[in-house]
Formats: sequence, structure tokens, C-alpha cells
Amino acid sequence: MIPYREELQGVFREVFGDDAIVLRPEMTSADFDGWDSLQHVTLMIAIETRFNIRFATAEISRLKTEGSTVGTMLELLRAKLADR
Amino acid sequence: MTVCTFSFVFGAFFVAMFFFLLPVPLRRWIFTLASALFLWTLVPNLSSWATLAAFLVSGWGVAYFVARKPSKSLLTGYLAVLLAAFVVLKKYAILRYFVAGRILEHPIGIVGLSFMLFRQIHFTVDSMEGQIQPFPSLWVYLNYQLSLFTLLSGPIQRFNDFRAWWEDPRPVHQDRHGLLWAILRVLVGVVLISLVAGFCQKLVHRALPSIGVLRMKDCFWVLVVFYAFPAYVFFNFLGYCEIVVGAASLFGLKLPENFNRPFFARNMIDYWGRWHITLSEWIRDYVFTPLYTALVRRRPTHAQFFAMVCYFVALFLAGVWHGATLNFVAFGLLNALGVAAAKLWEIQILNTGGRGALRRYLQSPRIGMLATIATFHFACFTMMFFTPDLALVAIAHLLRR
Repeated sequence: MIPYREELQGVFREVFGDDAIVLRPEMTSADFDGWDSLQHVTLMIAIETRFNIRFATAEISRLKTEGSTVGTMLELLRAKLADR
Repeated sequence: MTVCTFSFVFGAFFVAMFFFLLPVPLRRWIFTLASALFLWTLVPNLSSWATLAAFLVSGWGVAYFVARKPSKSLLTGYLAVLLAAFVVLKKYAILRYFVAGRILEHPIGIVGLSFMLFRQIHFTVDSMEGQIQPFPSLWVYLNYQLSLFTLLSGPIQRFNDFRAWWEDPRPVHQDRHGLLWAILRVLVGVVLISLVAGFCQKLVHRALPSIGVLRMKDCFWVLVVFYAFPAYVFFNFLGYCEIVVGAASLFGLKLPENFNRPFFARNMIDYWGRWHITLSEWIRDYVFTPLYTALVRRRPTHAQFFAMVCYFVALFLAGVWHGATLNFVAFGLLNALGVAAAKLWEIQILNTGGRGALRRYLQSPRIGMLATIATFHFACFTMMFFTPDLALVAIAHLLRR
């Protein structure tokens, strides 16, 4: 079991309005319909609210760049929650 | 000196031949020397040198303070002063309504200032948010800002990517094939600028015998300008990027790509993810995201409305950043209109048919082709506002219809 994956999956389902979403670490933005800049920021705000954390500008940007995956997001999330 | 010159291209090839034979500290000195020589050809007078120094050193200094003790008010105040200085230095026409004309008659000319501004804002903001650690020396920062490969027109490289190379400048091409590919990229860039973009520019000049004067009576020539001018802008900038990305890679410096077949975009949101990518990403990170986040946190129920507002603010700023005349305002607002329309259309599909309808819509090849053709023509139309002369022609032609 991957820590925080279930919670993150809940946020994804809410933001993308799709209850069928099942997160896998290797998934990228290309695996989700309509993941554009606005959807990305909306997702980041929803994650911040759900986990009570704040992302830096560069972190939000990094999570949208090519090569970034759900696994990258989980790693950053875990690091943020560990620092709290 | 520009990058599409014999001295730049063959100078880069020549230095690259022995660059990696030198010890690492000497590689850095060679890079600094090359950047300094390049800059020397671009700065016209002593007042420009002094202003450039003040511009850059102030950015590093403020970043140093906010990195040690984060202060939103200090950063906001500094960015306001920086933007005001930028507007004066670039001699924005609108200033004539607010300040004495004498202020705008200064002799200062700094090539690449617009890109330095973006890098500086990124550096100060990221420093305060603890994303640039350890904090660099002024020397490294100046090398980042004045790098000969990104000085004139980008791509807008982020500081941490530059520093990774600076600390360990090693070859990125492991074999002869990679090296030849990089050299070919540079030469293709030269061809794109001098032949392809040059040809498109000639077509535009033929259609507009005297730039600035409306002499366009023939519909054929309207079409020529409609397609040739965007092609000129695209191939000229693509060629520039091919040269600097290819040449930088010979020194081991990996620059971000700026284009990804923009005229194959299926809507204007997609288009801005493919056209001048590093600019789009910068605007997304330092204008759109903070503004949208701040607004939505206050009133989450108004998220869709705020998104539209942020599109207009972000692309309006992107427009006026390109130039100091009113046509760039129109350019920015037209692009914002296109982006907002694409988002509203997507929301409409989601509201009426749900996620499945959006998926079917995005996967339909016929819709994809029509959407791409429509986006291409809309993007070409917005390009008519990329120079004051063509903006006049575009408006006059629309009115005549």
C-alpha cells in the first residue's frame, strides 16, 4: 500500500469529476482528460486544502512539467507532510 | 551581434572543440568571457552599463535578504519598483500620460531586458520560497542572467537548471551522432532564419509596399500577409531557438525547448502550451497561478469566474510585455478571448455530457482536425496584431467587410 494514495485519489476524483480514477505512480498528466494549466492549479489548491499544506511556486510548476508523475506528486506530498 | 551571424555560430563551434579538454574552473571562465564579449557588443554606453548593473545587483541583493528572512512586503515593494523601472527603460508610450516626456528620452538601451526581468522575478520569488538553496554568489547569478545563449530572447531557463550545469559542466552528447545532431540543429536554425523566415518576410513586404501605409486592395495579398507574417514570426523565433539550444548543448548546457508544433494545437489553451513554451510556463507560474490561487482561496464558489479573469490578466500582461504599443494590448486580449472560449467550451461539454462526452470529443479525429484548423486561423489572426502596421491593416480589412 502506498501512503496517502487513497486520499490523493479522492482529491483527483473530486477535481476531475470522475469516480473511476485509480491512481498509479507512473501516471502522468496525459492520462487525465483536460489536465491543463487551470485544472493543474485547481488540483494543487485542492491538495493543499485537503492536506493543510502549501506548495511553493516552483513546486507547483515542477509537478506540471514533462516527466512528472503521480509518483513524483506523492513523494513531494510525503516530504511536505513529514516537514510539517 | 545577434545569434544568426558567422561570428556567433562559428565562434561557438570553435570554442566547443576544446571546451571539454579544459579543467572545470577554466570552462567556467571561458563561458564567462564569451558571455562578456557577447554582452560588450550589445551595450551601447556607460549609462546602460550602470543601469544594467543596478538592475541585476538589486535583484540578487533583495533575493539574498528575502531568502534569509522572508518578507512579502519587501518582495512586493521591490517587484513594483522593478516593474516601474522596466516600463521607463522600455519607454512604454502610455507613460507620456503620467510622467514628463523628458524621462522617456533617456539614452539607456539594454538588449534582452525583458527576459532578464522574467529571470529576476523568478529568482527573487523562488529564493523567498526556499526553492533556491544554497543561495548562490553574485558571480553565479550574473553568469545565469548574462549567459550568451539566453541573453537576447530566452528560452527562459530556471536558475536551478543553470546552476546544475555551472557546478558540473559536462558533455551531454555521449557520441558523435549526438554532436552532429546538435551542429545540424544550429545550421538548420541559420537556414530557418535566413532563408525560410527571410522568404516569408519578403512576401509580407511585397504585400505591404510601404510599411505603415494601407495599400492593400487585393484579397490575395491579404491572404499572403495572413499566412506569411505568422510564418515569418514562427520560423524566425524557431530558428533562433534552434541555434541557441543546439549551440548551448555543445557546451553541455541543456536549455528548455520553446516550441512543440504550435500550429497543430487543437485550441488556444493547447496553443499556449506549444508556442513560446518557456514564456507560457513563466506566465502560468508567476502571474496566473498566484493570482488565481489568491482569488479562489478567498471565494472558492467563484472559481470559474476567477479563472476567466486570470486568463485575461495573464495574457494582457503577456501582450504588453511583447511591446510598448497598443496593438500588443489587442494581441494579448485576443489571445485571452481564445483561451477563455476554449475553457468555456470544455465546461459546456462537461456540463451537458459529463466526463465521457469530453473524452469522446477529445478523441474524435474529425473534431480534432476541424479544431486544429480553426485554432491555426485564429492564432494567425491574433498575429496580425503583433506589429502596429499589420494591426492597422487587419482592422481596416475587417471594417471594409
